Amino acid sequence: MTAGPLPEARRTSRRIVLVHTVTFKQARQLVPVLIPVVAGIGFGGGVTTVVLLAVAITLVSVAAAALSWWRFSYADGPSAVVITRGLLSRSVRTVPNDRIRGVEVEAPPVHRVFGLVRVRIDAAAGAAGEDEEVVVDGVPRAEGDRLRVAVLTHRGATAPDAEDGEAPAEEELSRWDNRWLLYAPLVGSYLALPAAAVGALSRLVDEIPGDPLEDLFALELPAGWALALGVAAAALLLLVAGSVIGAAVVNWGFRLVRRGGSLVAVRGLVTRRHTELEIDRIRGVSVSEGLGMRLVGAGRASALVTGLADAERRGQLLPLGPREEAWSLADRLVDDPGPLVAHPPAARRRRIVRAVALGLLVTVGGVVLGVAQGHWELLAAGPVVTALGVLLARSLYASLGHAVGPRSFSVRRGWLVREQTVLERRAVIGWEVRQSWFQRRDGLATVTACVGAGSGGYAAVDMSAAEVPAFTTAASGPWADTMRPAG
Amino acid sequence: MTTAPAPVREPSWELPRSAIGLWTVESAISTVLLWLGAGAFLLFVPPSAGGPVPVLRWLLPTLALVHTVVAVGIRPWVKHRVYRWEITAEAAYTRTGWLTQTWTLVPISRIQTVDVTRGVLQQAFGLATVAVLTASSQGTVRIWHLEHAVAQRVADDLARRAELVRDQAT
Repeated sequence: MTAGPLPEARRTSRRIVLVHTVTFKQARQLVPVLIPVVAGIGFGGGVTTVVLLAVAITLVSVAAAALSWWRFSYADGPSAVVITRGLLSRSVRTVPNDRIRGVEVEAPPVHRVFGLVRVRIDAAAGAAGEDEEVVVDGVPRAEGDRLRVAVLTHRGATAPDAEDGEAPAEEELSRWDNRWLLYAPLVGSYLALPAAAVGALSRLVDEIPGDPLEDLFALELPAGWALALGVAAAALLLLVAGSVIGAAVVNWGFRLVRRGGSLVAVRGLVTRRHTELEIDRIRGVSVSEGLGMRLVGAGRASALVTGLADAERRGQLLPLGPREEAWSLADRLVDDPGPLVAHPPAARRRRIVRAVALGLLVTVGGVVLGVAQGHWELLAAGPVVTALGVLLARSLYASLGHAVGPRSFSVRRGWLVREQTVLERRAVIGWEVRQSWFQRRDGLATVTACVGAGSGGYAAVDMSAAEVPAFTTAASGPWADTMRPAG
Repeated sequence: MTTAPAPVREPSWELPRSAIGLWTVESAISTVLLWLGAGAFLLFVPPSAGGPVPVLRWLLPTLALVHTVVAVGIRPWVKHRVYRWEITAEAAYTRTGWLTQTWTLVPISRIQTVDVTRGVLQQAFGLATVAVLTASSQGTVRIWHLEHAVAQRVADDLARRAELVRDQAT
């Protein structure tokens, strides 16, 4: 399958069998089978059954882990990485080195105890939906670093030449500041963490026989406002503390350095992640600020890298921090295209008309309901919806904008999460201009730059239709002149 | 109500007339399904049932009628005027849609693959669709309903030229 001499096949460390036994990695797949078995036998046998079951599960786990270790080997040659695995049907996967777009070394806690790491090799797959990642699970730390360096060096890119990550040309771009954790309660995704934890806990409570929740509510408690306030305060505290802890676990010790031609990001409290991005493949940067983050001037920055799987996580340049920090990072990677140009007033009118239309609909509904059934509450809601809608519309309009510089361009949109994307001119691999009937009437158009990175397309929503040809040509290249109207 | 000029120019070439036939048949099929649905409603839902049923009994057939007139009588011709395409020295360029129009432009140097597909109905009309794919999930140009021989020639030509001028393609 590969040209040239076949490289020596290597095995993962034997210790990975222990890791997988402890974490039940393979045995977990048996759980759906085990549940009916257990249900059939029941726990009637008491302690003996439980012990036997535990022993059996452990044995199965050991056997499964050992088998998959035995049947797995990898080889990194000068032209490709070859992974061989599979118990009965053998699968040999060959990933050419020039298709490898990044290597990630991560050390989950159990792996750390045994001095092992997991290496994820991110390969550009031909078809979408294909598994783009090759995982070598359970090699010693030093071998993991060797593999990372070897794969990246063979690829022919300017990979670090030193053996153990102590490359000479290392420049720190960003370093985590623990004060940034204070932003966490204002960020939606971190707020979701404690909620998810509570959800998991409540499922656990459901499993417990009897009804602990009911027992809890049956307790004699001070009634009324005191209780409600107490619960609300506790929930708020839990939410704030949970989000801060969650952010700390994920981002602890975040560090972004430039090493040769790569950006290396390291982060994580429990699982240390080590992500490497090739600077050559970075096509742009997007800085996003959520509603809460805008109040305190926080932001996050991520790189748009061509052909990167799981780009959301891997492309992160700054997971959470002051917006100045996010922008200074963005400016170091992509040229600043200058200040944003606001979109025409017709774009604002469009948003206000939508808001008023919704408000009117609610009002009309309120009148109908009031006349027919005598409920007038909805009618009262009408003006409120209208007023809030108009405020939202103005804010939506304010976030729209675009800018073109000599080597890059930028678009911004969004209210709940305002995202500004700065892209290099070479990033554009196509344009899509869209104009609805209403937009045609208002002289507006939505222009999407198609990009082989990030979400695939970044749109300047409702820009002036007359500016479209100038914008597309300035932001990409002379080929976009194909669209310029004659005359 | 001033109608502003289009933001970008229209591609030069129009689709074959047989595309109108294809669109009409497509609309006719969806119309038949719609009438079957409306008929089933009139047959099986008793008019005595309360709530919105009395209104729906005349609203559904009216909507089906409007859909029939628009989809079979008007839309195929409007679409034929909107759908246009062009292959220039540098790029593939199309316009699609009818109420909402979409212009898509992809430079030949960024083309990754070119597909020709023929649906069942398309085969009946001797038509085919050329899909020009790039590294972006959104940057796909589809040239709908070309005559099959033309589609094949366009695809071969694009693939050959993409090979010659390909740069990084991402």
